[in-house]
Amino acid sequence: MGKILIVDDTLFMRTLLKNILFSGGHTIAGEAGDGEDGVSKYKELKPDLVTMDIVMPKMNGIEALKAIKEFDPAAKVIMCTAVGQEQMVKLAIKTGAKGYIIKPFQAPKVLEEVKSVLTS
Amino acid sequence: MKEVPVKIQHNNEWIVVKMGIAEDRVVLPAPVSREILFRTVADIAEKKNILIITVKTDSESVYKILSVEKVLQILKKFILASCNAYRLMAYFMSPAIRGGVMIKNAQWDKGSVVVVRSGIWFISASKQICVPLNDVAAIELTKRDVQGKPADVIKIDHLESGEVTSSFVLCPLSTLQVLYNYLKDTTKSMDMKGTELDGVDQQVAMLVYSGMDSHAIENMLNIPHKQLDAVYDKILKLGLGEVVTIRREIQLTTKGVRYITDATKSQTN
Repeated sequence: MGKILIVDDTLFMRTLLKNILFSGGHTIAGEAGDGEDGVSKYKELKPDLVTMDIVMPKMNGIEALKAIKEFDPAAKVIMCTAVGQEQMVKLAIKTGAKGYIIKPFQAPKVLEEVKSVLTS
Repeated sequence: MKEVPVKIQHNNEWIVVKMGIAEDRVVLPAPVSREILFRTVADIAEKKNILIITVKTDSESVYKILSVEKVLQILKKFILASCNAYRLMAYFMSPAIRGGVMIKNAQWDKGSVVVVRSGIWFISASKQICVPLNDVAAIELTKRDVQGKPADVIKIDHLESGEVTSSFVLCPLSTLQVLYNYLKDTTKSMDMKGTELDGVDQQVAMLVYSGMDSHAIENMLNIPHKQLDAVYDKILKLGLGEVVTIRREIQLTTKGVRYITDATKSQTN
């Protein structure tokens, strides 16, 4: 079980992820509504894992991932992307993302991915 | 012609026969007494280890054959190579995404895609995957990175044991467009305008998809259960969902209240 930071610009997706992660026994370290806030919350909260949306205002998910990896090279980040943005996944993996989930997602699969990244 | 023992459904009973298999036909001995040319097969479907073959000559006949995996594999290979179907050589990746999570180490298989009346088959030297058309949730022409370059692919979302799974087909764009049009036409009955559900309805549908129960949905969207029921009715009416459980809310009768009062007393004494 891990302490997780959720970074997504839509309240709906944050709440959905929060519910899924809670149901899997995880703790929510915090939430952020854009990449910039995500990076500062990461530095402040030092979570075990981050779920990071890609398309966000201010700073997008890839830039936020870069900033987090610069601060903590061991950071575990799972990218959340919408269908059709799969090409972004490759870039995210190059940048150091440990996993990725594609919206819309199903709870058991999200929990499996989170578990696999947390134990990696 | 090789002979293999199989079970076949004949007059609503499963009987054991020695079926002869050649590259272009199977021979079913008495009491079935029938020779099936693979080019006359109009449809092939699989349910567990039963192969359902629809043969169309002057009339249509359905044969159900039960056997071990190895025999069925050979049979499927021969039938899918010759049956009456839309067939093309392609690369495919199936499954590629399951429940929104990309399958690690998923690879492109070189083989063929065969579309029959009831399903889409992905066939390669090592795989025979059938996606029933009734389970196809979406078909999309999209792009995907293949060896570092974006390539046109068809993405097929389908339900597999309740999980949404995606498969990809890769072939030259002109062929891909023909396949896409064919698949769209075959699954036309599933198409919707996209305006049938409003904002909250769509959020409810998304939460159901994600695996949330009614209680969690009410809490997340902060809506009363009557409103959620109304959304469910809309979803059911549009054929987008089905009822899996009916939950009841009750209130205690006087007898129930008395029971609880007594039970509480006995716990505190």
